[in-house]
Amino acid sequence: MTTESIALPGRGEGIVRTRGFGAVSGRVVVWIVLAVFGILSIVPMIWLILAPSKTGQQLNDNPPFSFGSFEQYGVTWNNLLSQNDGIILKWMANSVTYTASIVVISCVTAVLAGYALAATTLPFKRVLLIITLIAMIIPPVALVVPLFVEISAIGLYDNPASVILTSSFYPFGVFLAYIYFSTSIPTEIYEAAKVDGAGEFTTFFRIALPLSKGLFGMLAFFSFSAAWVNYFLPYVLLQSQENFNLSVGLGFLFTSSPALNPQNGAQQSLIGRPEIALASLLLAIPILIVFIASSRLLVRGVLAGAVKS
Amino acid sequence: MARSRSSRRSLAAGSIMFAPYLILLVLFGILPIIQATITSIGPSIVNPAGGLQNFADVVADVRFLPALMNVVVFLLMYVPAMIIVVSLMSLLLDTVQGRWNLPLRLTYIVPASMTGATAVLIWYFMLEPSLSPYRDALHALGITQGNQIWRQGGLAWIFVAMAFFVGAGNWIVVQYGSLQSISEDVLEAARIDGANAWQIGWRIKLPLIRKYLVYMGILVFAAGLQVFVEPQLISGSVYTGIAKDWSLNQLSYDLAFQSNNLAGSAALSLMLLVVCIVAAIVVIFRTDFFEGTGVGKK
Repeated sequence: MTTESIALPGRGEGIVRTRGFGAVSGRVVVWIVLAVFGILSIVPMIWLILAPSKTGQQLNDNPPFSFGSFEQYGVTWNNLLSQNDGIILKWMANSVTYTASIVVISCVTAVLAGYALAATTLPFKRVLLIITLIAMIIPPVALVVPLFVEISAIGLYDNPASVILTSSFYPFGVFLAYIYFSTSIPTEIYEAAKVDGAGEFTTFFRIALPLSKGLFGMLAFFSFSAAWVNYFLPYVLLQSQENFNLSVGLGFLFTSSPALNPQNGAQQSLIGRPEIALASLLLAIPILIVFIASSRLLVRGVLAGAVKS
Repeated sequence: MARSRSSRRSLAAGSIMFAPYLILLVLFGILPIIQATITSIGPSIVNPAGGLQNFADVVADVRFLPALMNVVVFLLMYVPAMIIVVSLMSLLLDTVQGRWNLPLRLTYIVPASMTGATAVLIWYFMLEPSLSPYRDALHALGITQGNQIWRQGGLAWIFVAMAFFVGAGNWIVVQYGSLQSISEDVLEAARIDGANAWQIGWRIKLPLIRKYLVYMGILVFAAGLQVFVEPQLISGSVYTGIAKDWSLNQLSYDLAFQSNNLAGSAALSLMLLVVCIVAAIVVIFRTDFFEGTGVGKK
């Protein structure tokens, strides 16, 4: 506080010293704010990692950041497996299958379409681009009820294909790919290839694709992070427990078990708070790993990279 | 001659490459809207005659106005909070380069891994005085029972906190990336002119990333308008019924799956969708965000 008032009137001769002092105290404030925000960001994750190491009783009685035991993770996991003959395994497998299919279909269609918009003589480019942008800005949740109406009409309700196909529609990816192919790769390269007699497909596979590893990484990153945690759409489109993904399964667990609300479900259920926490952790960890592994991609600036000309 | 043949070939190749995405776009972007429009004016359980009356019925539903108010209050807190905090934090982050920058960014994106059902769960635990890591702080505030926090009327704050917690860190990292795109020459020129860090941040960096912040604001608004998971799960599990039909999307969901009124549900969805489409059109044509991308008129 006082350093601020020293720094402000600092003019003339004293300027270097007072600004230096103000700058140092300013740095300290900046660091405190940044660090506090960082701590607040990771507290819940640390808590979530520690929670399944404790019994329900310990979770209640012991300090929040205490560690139970490694054995207890096993006990908690076995309790979780007791739910419906290990349906959690099925949910995890479903999450992996759905997500992998969505990432592959969405990225491949997006890269192809982005390239077509950027480098070929596609008709109605501007209209297609505008529709894509509108679709990209509308949150996917807005289309859930309309999609439900359509999916029921074509008889794909409660079929995993409904979730995979609808989630593979990836306008944001198309836009990113379009910007990438029209700005990051100089058009002279395509021109040169075409002058040399290469067709569009040859140019795409031999020239554009090998230069797009970074693009694929970014597309896969966003596609994965949306697909893995997808809740509302599968919640609405799927009905049978064995078709749930982990996200919907987790929601089902805590609406149906007495863990969070003693009035819910069977009192004898082994699903308590540590088990619920473990299921959430299983949902969060893959995303966290992908985030950390892709941190290099995020440095360059998703939006800036996307629209810088 | 040769040129027109090559451009015809390019047209064919481009169309083939665009086709798979186009199929998805039509099937899951455009057709559902058409189908929902048809459904929305069809006969419904409350209005066998169908037509635009379905829209009027939804608006007249006793649950509509409270849900609308909830969502408006939610947005009024959520959107400004996101814009202010994300701008400030990304500017601060940009001032510290060096080896602590990356670890900080990594910690900021941790909460984004806890979305949807996990976010709801986390906040249940964080706000439950008997379990929370912040239990001392909660006790200091006189909160010893979860139901002192979870009560109707105070829910918007909690849902804002949840949505903010999940989204803010990721956006800070994204906008930090936007700041990285500012040319060093511009910043150097400002420094030579005697601008201090605060002035550079406020007068130079912020205006230069304004369009990214506007874009973020509109995306955040459109997503916030559709708030669903948080109230739905809390209401369906921990505090049964506390946030039933709290948001417009929940009402839409309940119309379809509880009230068996698919026409009404489709009508409400379409109304929300129209707001989002308008927001999208504003971004595309009324901001400079997509300048130079071939969208605007040249």
